[in-house]
Amino acid sequence: MRAILALTGKDLLQTGRDRLAALFTFILPILFTVFFGFLFGSSGSDRLPVALLNLDDGAPAQSLITTLERGGMVELRPYSAVQRLGLEEAVQKDNVAAGLIIPQGFGSASDANVPSAPAIVVGKMGSSGSQSVMQSVRSAVDRVLGARAATAAALAALDLDSSPGSAEFQGGLAVSEAAYEHPTVTVIAEDAGTEAGRTPRGFDLSSPGMLVNWILFSLLTAAVALVQERKTGALRRLLTTRVRGIQIIAGKTGAMLCITLTQQVVLIGLGQFVLGVDYLRNPPALLLAMFSLSLLAASLGLMLATILRSEQAVISATVIISMVLAAMGGAWFPLEITGSTFAAIGHVTPAAWVLDAFRGVILQGQGVLQVLPGLAVVWGYALLFFAVAVWRFRFE
Amino acid sequence: MTFIKVENLRKQFDPPRGIVAVDGLSFHMDEGEIYSLLGPNGAGKTTTISMLSCLLRPSGGDARVGGHSVREHPQAAKELIGVVPQDIALYPELSARENLVFWGKMYGLSGAALRRRVGEVLEIIDLTERQDERIEKYSGGMKRRVNIGVALLHEPRALYLDEPTVGIDPQSRRSILDVILQFRDRGMTILYTTHYMAEAQELSDRIGIMDHGRMLAEGTHEELVKIVGEEAHVELTVDRHLEQLATAWREMDGVARVTVEEERAILLVPDATVTLPRLFETAAAVQARINEVNVTEPDLEMVFLHLTGRALRD
Ligand SMILES: Nc1ncnc2c1ncn2[C@@H]1O[C@H](COP(=O)(O)OP(=O)(O)OP(=O)(O)O)[C@@H](O)[C@H]1O
Ligand SMILES: [Mg+2]
Repeated sequence: MRAILALTGKDLLQTGRDRLAALFTFILPILFTVFFGFLFGSSGSDRLPVALLNLDDGAPAQSLITTLERGGMVELRPYSAVQRLGLEEAVQKDNVAAGLIIPQGFGSASDANVPSAPAIVVGKMGSSGSQSVMQSVRSAVDRVLGARAATAAALAALDLDSSPGSAEFQGGLAVSEAAYEHPTVTVIAEDAGTEAGRTPRGFDLSSPGMLVNWILFSLLTAAVALVQERKTGALRRLLTTRVRGIQIIAGKTGAMLCITLTQQVVLIGLGQFVLGVDYLRNPPALLLAMFSLSLLAASLGLMLATILRSEQAVISATVIISMVLAAMGGAWFPLEITGSTFAAIGHVTPAAWVLDAFRGVILQGQGVLQVLPGLAVVWGYALLFFAVAVWRFRFE
Repeated sequence: MTFIKVENLRKQFDPPRGIVAVDGLSFHMDEGEIYSLLGPNGAGKTTTISMLSCLLRPSGGDARVGGHSVREHPQAAKELIGVVPQDIALYPELSARENLVFWGKMYGLSGAALRRRVGEVLEIIDLTERQDERIEKYSGGMKRRVNIGVALLHEPRALYLDEPTVGIDPQSRRSILDVILQFRDRGMTILYTTHYMAEAQELSDRIGIMDHGRMLAEGTHEELVKIVGEEAHVELTVDRHLEQLATAWREMDGVARVTVEEERAILLVPDATVTLPRLFETAAAVQARINEVNVTEPDLEMVFLHLTGRALRD
């Protein structure tokens, strides 16, 4: 056991000294994750951007804004009255999903049962973004004005002062608004694409995709190190000492697991804490997926370094295989957008199954039992690669 | 006392049609002696060492190291030997100290014993001062020294060195040879392979000359050169009185034979150091001047040429 640890430690020290390894292990993966994230979704936030022109300073307008912001669907970007043209331009150029104009006197007439100046949504015909904005605004308006109307009606029925400025009205309004916060009946809309889940954003796709891609790629350094060890005769020399072949293989595997797990912790940390990808929805399932990915990378690296002789061959094979696996497995673009045939072909690769597990955790909060069947496929592959590596392992 | 005994050792790569690299080799090494295997490229030196280090399984025959058969008890045999491979089998990204610590662990050392031994080895290979530099920044000679150092960590009783001085400057070569002689003086048994005749001659207690996997001749340097005769060839060119001088030299003690060829006299001389000054005296007596002297002592090169009809170096 001590010999295995020493072998692992030596490999880690070597990798730590290798500048190119640092580039492949951390720097490029981070750059690619961020880059692909922006490519997949232009906005870093999952709220729809809405340009807001507020021409009213009354209480109903304020509560409409608060309600919209709390609703989490839209992100309001305030414009001033003189920027009205700018707002329309922003809508035209798709810089925002829609524009919202709150007119002067919004909500003021509602208490007297007279139609008040309506809020205006400026959007593009047929744009799904402006449709969603329209719906959010409509329900927010209903809610704000509904609360006021209900309060006024109740006060009137009790013969109390129902004018918006009165203390009774303020108290009643607070009660009605609180009632809206905790509705007794709610309707939750589910997106069929991601059951019980969140709508994927750019980083939700790029972060796990690039994770799988670069973990597979990082086995390059380990594989090349092993080939060099064979070339210098160090591997052969090891056999003149006390260690046995199987200990050498175990030590190498240990090092590859350590390297790829560290890499995953860094990339997942980046995803979770910087890019807002929710990896921690189910930590046990996440750990299982991470471990499976590392196992896959280690076994594949060991196998390639074992069956190929020259450094050149190992480099080209690793680059090609890791890229093809990642691309076919959906690390570069989600398989869902490619159609079912390609998705089925993609699932021949273990990369697709690992990626499914990661996305299951991020988007649907899947647990261990749900990710297990897919990860079992990954272990099958890992076992196969290990078997070939041990069977064909050569010391010279 | 015999420490290593090689009997009828044979290695064929990729049988049945592959090359027979070692072909019925037998020799023995006494404890505390330096034995050199001298042979040209491809003679089978490395293959022999690999079998004696239990890296390659012999196709036939056996070898015993400290009484342990390399076939039957390779682990026991390995404990007794340190192997210095022909290639620099080290980790270039690690420093000399880190390499030694790693290899020490591979030999089963740990803790204080490991630290102590690494310190000692760094002293022996004279790299204490530069122990923390990465090996890749070392000169060829320094790398070779670390390569040797690794094999000393577990204080083996026998050391195999496979061409440890290839491709390094004369100064480094000198220091390596000195270190090897020190080991011998401490009682280590040393198997050395080389294709440099001068090294074999200087270091070895006994030499085995190998070619094509076979032992052509074996013995001390003196015993081997006797195969081609013991006398040195002395070639002399004089400006006058050549015939007269030749006659005088024929009469002289310590000159075995004199032949005259054009302007030169060729003498066979058992001991050139004693005879040469007297040759000059006789020339001076007849006022002749010796313009050129060429002395060729019989050497292993001549032995190899004699045995194979080929030169040792290509
Ligand atoms: N692994 C191998 N497979 C096949 N043939 C081999 C192998 N190793 C060595 N040989 C062959 O065996 C013969 C002896 O090689 P060996 O390396 O023992 O020679 P050597 O005396 O050490 O030569 P050098 O001075 O060049 O190191 C050579 O013809 C070589 O090509
Ligand atoms: Mg050799």
